[in-house]
Amino acid sequence: MTATLAIAALTMREAVRRRLLLAFIAITTVIVGLSAWGFDRLSHTHSLTSGETNIAVPQALILFMFMFSFVIALSASAIASPSISSEIESGVLITIVTRPIRRTEVLIGKWLGLAALLALYAGAVCALEFGVVDWASGFVPPNPVLVAVYLFAEGALLLTLALLLSTRVPVIAAGVVGVAVFGAGWLAGVVGTLGSALNVAALRTVGQIGRLVVPTDGLWHAAIYYLQPPSLIAQHLAEGGREDPFFAQGAPSPAYLLWVACWFVIVLFAAVASFDRREL
Amino acid sequence: MSPTKSGESSAIDVDERATPDRRARAMDPARSPASGDRAAGPPASPAIHVVGLTKRFGDTIAVNSLSMTVRRGEVFGFLGPNGAGKTTVVKLLLGLARPTGGEALVLGAPVGDRETRREIGYLPELFRFQALLTAREVLGLHCRLLGVPKPAWAQEVRAALQTVGLLDRGDDRVGTFSKGMQQRLGLGVALLGTPALVVLDEPTSALDPVGRHDVREIIRGLRERGSTVFLNTHLLEEAEQVCDRVAVIDQGTTIATGSLDELLGRHSRVRLKVGGLGENWWTALGRFGQWHRQDEWLVVDGIDPSRIAALVSELVARGGQIEAVIPEHETLEARFLELLGRR
Repeated sequence: MTATLAIAALTMREAVRRRLLLAFIAITTVIVGLSAWGFDRLSHTHSLTSGETNIAVPQALILFMFMFSFVIALSASAIASPSISSEIESGVLITIVTRPIRRTEVLIGKWLGLAALLALYAGAVCALEFGVVDWASGFVPPNPVLVAVYLFAEGALLLTLALLLSTRVPVIAAGVVGVAVFGAGWLAGVVGTLGSALNVAALRTVGQIGRLVVPTDGLWHAAIYYLQPPSLIAQHLAEGGREDPFFAQGAPSPAYLLWVACWFVIVLFAAVASFDRREL
Repeated sequence: MSPTKSGESSAIDVDERATPDRRARAMDPARSPASGDRAAGPPASPAIHVVGLTKRFGDTIAVNSLSMTVRRGEVFGFLGPNGAGKTTVVKLLLGLARPTGGEALVLGAPVGDRETRREIGYLPELFRFQALLTAREVLGLHCRLLGVPKPAWAQEVRAALQTVGLLDRGDDRVGTFSKGMQQRLGLGVALLGTPALVVLDEPTSALDPVGRHDVREIIRGLRERGSTVFLNTHLLEEAEQVCDRVAVIDQGTTIATGSLDELLGRHSRVRLKVGGLGENWWTALGRFGQWHRQDEWLVVDGIDPSRIAALVSELVARGGQIEAVIPEHETLEARFLELLGRR
C-alpha cells in the first residue's frame, strides 16, 4: 500500500510540476468566463419569456457540460496513454520495477494519481461553471455533485482504458484508440437514440450494446439527468419524451451502475495482468 | 585486499556448458564451490548462481544455456562483445524478462523474488529518472520504495549524494543534469540501502575519465564493505582494474570464466637480460620453462609465476649478472580477442 501511495503521489507531483492542472484550469477559466457572459445575456434577454428562459438555461448548460465532458474524457486519455509505454521506452520504469514492489502497485498507483487529478479537474470545472450559471441566471442543477461524479466517471473510464492500452502499445496509438473509443461510444448512443426515435429495433440494440461495451455515453446521460430541472423533464415528456443525445428520462439503473463498476474492475485487472506479463 | 581470492579455483574454466549432472550438483548452494566465501552466516549461497539459462526471442537465441557462479563479496566482470547477450542476462537476473529455460538464483532466491530485490542495487545501461524531480527527491522516492525507515532517509540520501559527488547538486532538478551526472545519480540510487549485490550495467559509459576513476573507487569501496558487484561492461581496461573474476560471453554463452590471473596466464613468460654466464648454463634450468634467445634477451615461456624468484637465484648462483627481469603477460584485450576468435 505504501508503494502504491508513493507512486500515486509521484504521478500527481509530476503532473503538477508539468503545470498540467494549471493549464487546464486556466483554459477552463477563460471558457467559463465567456459562458458567464452568454448565460447573463440569455437570462436577461427580452425575446424570451421567463418560462422559456427556465428551459433555455438548463439546455444551454447541458451543451456546455457536454463540451466539458469531451475535454475531461480526452484529457484522461491524453494523460494516461503515455503513463506506462513512454516510461518503458525512456527507461524511467526500469528503475522503479526493480525495487521490492509489485508491478500491480505501480499500475494502481499511477491509476490513483491520474484519477485524483481527473477528479480535481472535474470538480473544479463543475464548481466554476455551476457557480457562474447560478450567478448569471439563478439556476442550480438538481444534483451538482452527482453531475461532477458522473463526468469524472466518464473520464476515469477512458483513463482506465488508455492505461490498459499503454501497457502494450505506443503512446500515440493508445491516445488515438482512446479518442476513437470515446467517439464510438457516443456515436453508438446517438444511433440508439435514432433507433428509438424511428422505432428501428436493430439501431436500438446497437445503442444498448454500445452503452455496455463502452459505458461513456451511459455515464454522460446519467450526468445529464442530474443537470435537468423537473420543468425541462416535464416539457420533454409533454412533447412525446423521445430520446435525445442531450436528454435523459431517468437516472441510471442500479444494475447499469453495477455493470459500470464491473467494467472498471475488468479493464483495470486486464491492465495489471498485461503489465505484469510484459518483459522490460 | 580482496577477501575473495582464497576461494578462487585454480584453473580457467573455458566453454563451461554444464552437463545435467553438473547442473544438479551446481544448483545445490551447499555443495557449491563458492559456499562459505564471504557470506556473514548461513545460508552461504553464491550471490548469483546460473545453470543452463536460456532466452529465446522467436528464432533468435539471445542467451544460450549460460552457466556461471558469482561469489559473495567479489567484483565480477561480465564481458562480451556488443550483442553477446550481456544486458539480456542482466534483465533475466533481475526478473525484468522471463527465461525460456534453465535456472537462476540471486542471493539464494529465485530471480525476481520481491524481498530479495531489497538487497539488490541496480544501475541500468539505459535509464532516465523523473526529470521534474530533484536529485534528493529521486533518492527519497527510492528510499521509500526500498522500505528504508523514514528517519534514515536524510542520512541515506546525503551519503549517496556524497559518494557519487553530487552533494552540491542535490536540490537541482534531474532534467538539468548532464548525462554523466544522471549516471552518477543512477549509481547513487543503486547504492541506497547498503545492498548485498550491486548490478552495474555499463556504469561508466557516459562518464569522463574523472568520473570513471570515481566509479572504480566506489566499486572498490563496495568490495571493502562486503557487497558483491556484478559489473557488465565492454570496457576491458575497467574490468582489468577492478574485477576479481570475469566471465566472457559470446553468442549468449560463457566461453571463459576465471580470475584475471587465470584468464590471462599472468607472468607466463619472463624476459631476462643476463651477463656473465658460462657455457652450458641452461642444462639444469630447463625445468623452469622453454628457453630461447631474442637478440640480447633470454626468454622463458610457460614459467610458473611463483618460480621467477627461484630462477633468478639459480642464475645468480651460476655467476649470472642480472641486468633486467621483465615478467610479461597478455593484455585482457588480446586474450579477449583470442577467446572470441577461438570459437
